[in-house]
This record gives sequence, C-alpha cells and structure tokens, in this order.
Amino acid sequence: MNATAELDIQFKDLDVVYERPDTLTDARLHYCPGCGHGVVHRLLMEVVEELNIKDRTIGVAPVGCSVFAYNYLDIDMQEAAHGRASAAATGIKRVFPDKIVFSYQGDGDLAAIGTAETIHTANRGEKILVVFINNAIYGMTGGQMAPTTLDNMKTSTSPFGRNPDHVGHPLKITELLAMLPGTYYVTRVAVNSPRNVRIAKKALLKSFEYQMQGKGLCFVEVVSNCPSGWKMTPVESNKWLEENMLPMFPLGDIKVPSDE
Amino acid sequence: MEAVQSMVRIRSGNQMVAEGALRAGCKFFAGYPITPASGIYKLMIDMLPGRGGVALSAPDEISALAYCVGASLRGQKAMTATSGPGWALMIETVQYALMTETPVVIAMVQRLGPSTGGATQNAQGDVLLVEHCTSGGYTIPVFTPSTPIECYELTHIAFTWSELLRTPVVVMLDKEVGMTSEDIDYMTIHDLTTLSRQRSIQRDNGKNGAMDTYYFENPEDVPSFVPVGGQIKATVTGSAHNKAGKLQKNSPETLEVLYHLQKKIDAHANQMELVKRDLQDGARTLILSYGITARTAREAVRRIRNNNGKVSWLNVLSLFPVPANKIRASLHNIERIIIPEENFGGQYRSVLCNVFDKQEIVGVNKLGAMITPDEIIAKVV
Repeated sequence: MNATAELDIQFKDLDVVYERPDTLTDARLHYCPGCGHGVVHRLLMEVVEELNIKDRTIGVAPVGCSVFAYNYLDIDMQEAAHGRASAAATGIKRVFPDKIVFSYQGDGDLAAIGTAETIHTANRGEKILVVFINNAIYGMTGGQMAPTTLDNMKTSTSPFGRNPDHVGHPLKITELLAMLPGTYYVTRVAVNSPRNVRIAKKALLKSFEYQMQGKGLCFVEVVSNCPSGWKMTPVESNKWLEENMLPMFPLGDIKVPSDE
Repeated sequence: MEAVQSMVRIRSGNQMVAEGALRAGCKFFAGYPITPASGIYKLMIDMLPGRGGVALSAPDEISALAYCVGASLRGQKAMTATSGPGWALMIETVQYALMTETPVVIAMVQRLGPSTGGATQNAQGDVLLVEHCTSGGYTIPVFTPSTPIECYELTHIAFTWSELLRTPVVVMLDKEVGMTSEDIDYMTIHDLTTLSRQRSIQRDNGKNGAMDTYYFENPEDVPSFVPVGGQIKATVTGSAHNKAGKLQKNSPETLEVLYHLQKKIDAHANQMELVKRDLQDGARTLILSYGITARTAREAVRRIRNNNGKVSWLNVLSLFPVPANKIRASLHNIERIIIPEENFGGQYRSVLCNVFDKQEIVGVNKLGAMITPDEIIAKVV
C-alpha cells in the first residue's frame, strides 16, 4: 500500500468544511509569507463564488506585487498600465454594463501614479468596485516610500523616517473619495485578524451586491501588511499594523449608501 | 607617503551613475520606484541631502521630471532616473525641457518592453523611443556606458553637455549595465572638468533695454541662462516662442528659435562624439557595439584574435548625435559592420544604414537573453 492510498483511507470518512473556492486556481502564490494579498484574493473569489457571478466578473490588476493576480483569480483578468486600472475598468464597464467589474490596486498604483484616474473614476460614479490594498510601501520595487507611508516610518527612500515637513503626511485618499458624490459605498477594512477578515469579506460581498443592483462606485480599502518591506516577521507585522497603521487608517464604514 | 596606486571597490552601474552625477554637481534629484533604475533613486535619496542637495520622491514619473525642470529653471543641476515605462510618461516634459532650453539629465535604464514588459529582463529596445521622442524630430543627446566606470564618466559628461547646450540629455544604460556589480578601480577614472551653463548678465537687445530670455545672435549659439526668480525677468513657455520667451505662432523670429533648437546641437555634434576604438590592421570586419553588447563584443574580439583572425572593434559611447566622423575614421578597408543589439529590429543599425552605404551592415539581434560571443563571431568575414 503506498502513501497516497493510505491518505485516501484516512480522509474517506471526513467532511469537507473549508476548501479552496473554484474561482481560485491552485497555483502557488508568489507573495511573501504573511502577506495580506493572498487573504484578499481568497475573500474576493469566495464572494464571487457565493454570488455565482464567476462568468460575468472581470478584474483589472495593477502594476505592483499583485501584477500576477491573474495567476490566482480564475476569472477574466487584465493587468493595466501602472496606475490606470480604474480607467481600464471604466472602459470595460461602459461597454459591458452587465458585467461585474473590479479593479485591484496597491497604494502606489492607486494613490500615487494613478491618483487622477482614481479620483475621476470615483467622481464619475463608475459602477465598479475598487479594491485598494494599502500596505504603506512599494513592495515590488524594494520597499520605497509610498503615498500612504506613515509619518516617521522608515523605508528604503525615507531612511530616517518619513518627514512630513519634506514629503507631507500619508495620503488618506479613501476619506478624500468619500467626499465625492460619485462614490456610493466607501469603507476601510483589514485582514490582520480572523475577525477583521470576516468584516472584510462582508464589505466585499456588499460591494458586489451593490454593483449587481446597478448602484455607484464602491471603494474598499484593505489595510494590509508587507512583512518583507517592513522588515518584520508576519506576526510582528500584524501587531505593528494594529498599533501603527490602524490609528492613522481607522477601520469602519466611511460612507454608507444614502438610499438604504 | 606613498601615492595611492589603486582604489578598488565593488560598484554597480547604477551606483556609479549616482556618484557621477554628484561629481558633476547635481543638486536636485526626483525619482519614482521602477526596476531596474530604483538603485539610482535610492542612492540619491541617501547621498544628496547630506551634500547640500534636494532629493524628492515623486508620485509618478510625470512629476519627477517636472520637479527636475523646475529646479533647473532656477539654475540647479538636476537629474532623474527611470526605465522604459517611466520614460513613456516623461516624454511630455522632455519635450518641454527641450523647448524651454532647460538643462536636465535623465538616466534611463532599459528593460524589456513594450509596456510594463519585463522588469527584470535586459533589453536595448528603447534606443529609438528615446531618440525620436520629440515632435519635430529634434536630436536628444544620448550616452551609452557599458561599464560602471563609463557610467560615472558619461553621467558627468551628460551633465556637461546638458549644461552647455541647455537641453535634456540621456544617459542610457540597460538592466545588465545598471544592476551588475563588479570591481572597479577609482584611480582609472579620467580627469573630468565640471562645467556649468553660462549665466546671463544684464544685456540690451536693442529694444528699450529690455532683456530677452532666449537671446542669441546666431542660431548655433546657446543663449546664456536667465534663472527664474533672479534679478532679470524671465519668461518661459513650452509653446512656440520668440527670443523673449513669449508665445507667438509663426513669426520669423519664432521659426528662427525652432531651427536654433536643433542647430545648436548640430553645431556641437563633432565635439560630442565619443567612441572607444580597438582597430586591427588588415581587418575587414568591424564590430560596432554599445551598452551591454560591448562586453560581449570584447570577448568575441579576444576569441577571434586568439584564433589568428582579424577584426576591429568600435564601442560607441555617444549614440546620438551619431558619431559619424569617428565611425567613418574606423572604416579603413572594412567591408562589413556587425552590430549586436538586444532588440529584434536592430534599432541603431537602422540609423547607421542611412549613414554608411558602402559597407554591408549586419545585425546580431536577440530578445530576452544576452547575445553570446559566438553569435557575433559567426557573422565575421
């Protein structure tokens, strides 16, 4: 009897209580250990599966660490040029109003090089979902200072800590977007604890539902971590996130639908 | 005390670009993260503030170059560093710098394109994109180092020409040249003279004693520099303008300014020519290389000569304006020119085909992998 057959016997009488959704490929994630991207990918795809919209969902990936999102999300994906994800999503949604469209962007992509696209997409009230992964750093290129880097936070291009007199405070673009009449639902969640993961999933679920109802732009900021860029262990990074990121980026709904 | 004979350190091309810029008196740097040019950005952030300069993080490449132009309009030597996708965004401001005669240096570390392409793959595919980025087809001086020492020297030289001609100048590396570290001897760096743009003193243009921001006598002349915020009123516009820097449609003076932008570069093209030559008597083949392919070419030349073959080698350091005189002077008895390039069309070959029609020009081209010496040797007569 070989090892595989032995395993089959062991697992034969067990019930499946938790498994990979069909909407996720079984490719091995390239993300660093402890990175929040993997969790958010899974949440997105769980929601897509639960709503049974796999065939009508189109995602737009950014340039940055999640440039490879198409390897994992088993739906139609396109990677846009750096910062242009929400603009590309606009084009898709305008010609395919029945499709469910989301962009998935990091802080550098969404709040630095893509600021104009982000603000105008929100202001037009495009009926899409924008998922904003905020880990306060450029992970892909080697840990440079990002628009959301915290005051005094050390990165490779703020070696003595971010100096707000020199480069300003972290950009709270989510609050900024909530001010625009075009946005329908704006919230900030995190994936650093099981409780927060559940809240994050609810926010994503709501956003997809709103889009299916033809409501306006939904914007979900996910406060995430970057153990490699922050030079911490995954556990340390989640603790650091709780103690440092969340005071600056407080969790919760920033704008709830006015017609509910 | 004994004189220092050597000072060997391990340095990458990117590091030496940063050090060359500091040596040239660069006082302003703005950058945005992009592989494979991020090393220059990081080093300038680390080194420049301690040397009395300003290093800024920009929200994108559009801003990065615009910051530099602003600093340069005030008179500071400024530089940014990027790769293909960032260059695409910078083109607007490159043209603005050219039109407003604002010196600025751009270190452009090529990666595989088009679009986001391959961030960590080498290529020499941006040669024509860089050179032909202006509406109107103006010459952008481009220098192409192949070693860390050349990175240092050519960045310095790029600053010099940028200052003297008041025009944007590109130091074009490729990923292998920028990110490969090797031991270099600082004592082998050539003596470099640091020059800066000529500043303007109060001058009369014959019109009520008023000063023209872009006053020149002959179209080949470079106007002396009037900093914004100085004692002389300066007017700067990216629109077609007369010598006073005022927007005009197509007055004779405005057209004269448009011709002048190219003529000032043409007039200095001979002086800008930079090549390294290793010619052999009796050789009928010349290998012409630039950037990383120079390293392959050097090895190909060594192998050919070890086998008693004859070959000449020319490494082009000033890609544009095309160093036609120095190339021509290397073509005695040459029947075939081999140009290895890591791009599929032979971009520099297509430029030289228009200049040299007596020789057969052959390309060795490859995408996504480095050209090997044997691939060059196979094309030698």
